[in-house]
Amino acid sequence: MGTYGWLIDEKLCIECRACESACKTWNQLETGVGVRWRQVRVREMGVYPQVRQQALTGSCHHCENAWCMKVCPVKAIWRRAEDGTVQIDQDKCVGCQQCAMFCPYGAPQFNVRTRKMSKCTFCVDRQEQGLDPACVTLCPTGALQYGPWEEIQNKGSETTENFAPPRQTRPRVRFIKEAFPVSR
Amino acid sequence: MALTRRDWLKTTGAGVAAAPAALGAFEQYFQPAAAPSAAVTKAISCCGICSPACGLQATIQDGVVRFIEGLPGDAHGLGHLCGKGAASVNYLYDPDRLKYPMKRTNPRKGFNEDPGWVRISWTEALDEIAFRMKQTIDNYGREALLFVTLPSPDLWLRFMNAMGVVSRIDHRDECFQTDMVIQRYTTGGKTWCNDFENSKYILLFGWDIVAKAKIIYANGIVEARKKGAKIVHFSPNYTATSRFANEWIPVKPGSDLAIALAMIQVIISENIYNKEFVDNYTNFGRYESEIRAHFAQYTPEWAETISGVKAADIRRIAREFATNGPAIAPAHKKTLCANYMNGTQLVHAISILNILAGTIDRPGGRYFPRTHSIPGVDAVYPPPAYPAKSGRRVDGRDKLPLVNEVDAGLFSTLADGMLNKYPGMIKFAFWNAYTILAFPNPKTMEEAMKTVDFTVVMDFIPTDTVNMADIVLPSAMYLEVNDAVARDYNAKYPQTVARTAVSAPAFETRSIGWVAIELGKRLCPDYFKTPDGSWINPATLLDEKVKRAGLGENFADFRAKGIVETKQPFTPRTSFVTVSGAEGKCQIYVPQFPARGADPLPKWVPKREEPNEHYPYYYMTFIPAIHKRNTTQNMAILNEIMPTNHAIINPAMAKKHGISEGQNVLVRSRAGQIELPAHLSETVPPDVVMVAHGFGHASRALSKAGGKGVRDGDLIANPSIDDFVKAGNFGGSSCIMDAVCSIEPL
Repeated sequence: MGTYGWLIDEKLCIECRACESACKTWNQLETGVGVRWRQVRVREMGVYPQVRQQALTGSCHHCENAWCMKVCPVKAIWRRAEDGTVQIDQDKCVGCQQCAMFCPYGAPQFNVRTRKMSKCTFCVDRQEQGLDPACVTLCPTGALQYGPWEEIQNKGSETTENFAPPRQTRPRVRFIKEAFPVSR
Repeated sequence: MALTRRDWLKTTGAGVAAAPAALGAFEQYFQPAAAPSAAVTKAISCCGICSPACGLQATIQDGVVRFIEGLPGDAHGLGHLCGKGAASVNYLYDPDRLKYPMKRTNPRKGFNEDPGWVRISWTEALDEIAFRMKQTIDNYGREALLFVTLPSPDLWLRFMNAMGVVSRIDHRDECFQTDMVIQRYTTGGKTWCNDFENSKYILLFGWDIVAKAKIIYANGIVEARKKGAKIVHFSPNYTATSRFANEWIPVKPGSDLAIALAMIQVIISENIYNKEFVDNYTNFGRYESEIRAHFAQYTPEWAETISGVKAADIRRIAREFATNGPAIAPAHKKTLCANYMNGTQLVHAISILNILAGTIDRPGGRYFPRTHSIPGVDAVYPPPAYPAKSGRRVDGRDKLPLVNEVDAGLFSTLADGMLNKYPGMIKFAFWNAYTILAFPNPKTMEEAMKTVDFTVVMDFIPTDTVNMADIVLPSAMYLEVNDAVARDYNAKYPQTVARTAVSAPAFETRSIGWVAIELGKRLCPDYFKTPDGSWINPATLLDEKVKRAGLGENFADFRAKGIVETKQPFTPRTSFVTVSGAEGKCQIYVPQFPARGADPLPKWVPKREEPNEHYPYYYMTFIPAIHKRNTTQNMAILNEIMPTNHAIINPAMAKKHGISEGQNVLVRSRAGQIELPAHLSETVPPDVVMVAHGFGHASRALSKAGGKGVRDGDLIANPSIDDFVKAGNFGGSSCIMDAVCSIEPL
């Protein structure tokens, strides 16, 4: 398998959280320990009645220049050669939370039960079985997609509203910014 | 390097350690293999969290359901699920689930009383229930029975019919009952199907279905926008649905009716309705003078004074709606978003707008579902004649003849009936899968439940209602039963999906259909026998239904197919309402209504309560996308995402009262008060306090939901049936958000 990236069309998100439920179920993540690898964040802008909202799904973006990897003092964070995904070795992690402090996207999260860091694996285990990541599989509207990075990286914008500047870490994510067509 | 799942989970620290914890009480029950096997199977079923029942696939490993995903080809989920359905494993393996029949030992009842449960056998439970029920009928008559349940499944309905149950109460007055009443006389059916994807103009009166995450509706809205349709959303607050609208137009709470009436006035006075449809398929011609005279009073200028929406906008939107079709204005499943005293009139007005647009059962409009005809038990095994239902209904529904005809409701007037109208009448109650939180004013309902001599509750988890029971019966959940579930939300041609037991019923859980047969054997045996004299067997019955519906030789054959569909072209109907005098036409003016205590044309009725000097703000409730009403708060993943509720207020209101984010506030109404943290949001108007429904479960036996949040219903004053009659609420819209309140910081 090659390198993959996320493709997000935020205007299609209905805030149903299927991506979150799928992620937690497939990866058998405990609840109540501070770990939600994928989250839909709803933000509001403006003043009533000139108000609008943005619903943005987010997880680890498996950055090309992963700061989490660089700052890990025990080299617990590694990049899988086969697919370029960034992973945390649970045996090596000491739970110092340095990675969480440097990640602009809140991807590495401290599990208060295991006292170690934890984050999205890009469902590499599913991908090895020829399956899409769990979150993408469940997303009912196509707000969250993924694909080979060489295709995805030319598909949309590098950033979107309320998304940390991507120039430094080069996250593997693109955003579709086209609005819905208006016929009149 | 090919990873095994076990190795992979070990490296990520995710699964192996967490799996037993996730299974909790079920670990022992399943006795999972020491080492997870690589063998994985998939089974097809249907979700059971909300009514469309999206098709799903379960991934099963070592007998344990590990993952739930959508079912490709399913007309409702379109191959996907929402966050609630995707978390179904939480429901299946909820360690708090009711596992065995139990009886109460503490005679004192109340939300905060420990029932002192003692485990009993099913035989003891059923014998006791049958004895109490018979004793009640012998001593007090059938009107002393109360069944709080939907009229389904068919075996359960047969039991209630055989026992002559008069007071069967359900929640539909809080949901689509008004639409059932109105559709029966205006278009002739249940228009649950909205052909959004072929619509060019979609008009939403507080209809907030994107924010409920019903996939089939939400996807319809998405597809419509992709094709360039225009969507207009009238709503006091900005919601996820507003995000999908070209125009979100804030309105005063409960004023949608004024806008709808004015739109009808514009369309009729300017003669811009769909002439071909209106002339051929409606009774407009016959009642033209009455209709024109009636609506002349409802000008956009008048509606502006009530709704706050500019007359010019109402006029423009009315013209766009009438001339840029196909146009649609959905009403079904309005749930909490428009549940006011004037809800029945509003739904009639919305129906008229659809009729004037000429899109009833036409592409881009509201259409009638084409479904397989799956026979019920009464068709397969015709019953002996049912006894006549004699006696008074405790909810007073007899005063709403139109609601009687559709045999729905009434949650909203039950407490008033039990406490004030007919105190002491109900001696025996059987609750099936309804929680007390669903009622306007759960506190009063708690008092009403205390007046009942003997209460049985069948449920999945130990809800507050369960805590009030004398005997509790554990229910099998939707992944543990077999059924054939017709697709009737997206049904241009028939499709039926197999619901299969992907997991055997846990512990001693049983289905309500099984309980019906067992109680039937004890109380009304003649109704539960097949023609050859043997007891009805649910599996044999399902085989017969499947065969007669043409879905397969038997259920096993149908299950192997998973989905059965009968492709056929969509032929628009040319004959509509079938009630006497309707001549098969859609009815704008409903001549049958006056004889049934209803208005033949929709008229302006104010909402029940308007802000006043004591309670200066509107009180609105809503259902968040991540929860299904009051039933999912104990699901671990959903509870983690949204564990509690807040008083959501505009920062301007917060400033006025000196309230800061997260600060506890006291919200009061004439019915009661609640204490909860404030959340400041620009999405709500400065004169509204909004609280999410579904929280405030008192039962501490719910380890995740218990004690979190407050009950939104505590601020809703119980309506009485007389209020409904007086206000022209002949469809019984339940008023579950028709209240006003005050707020102060704590």
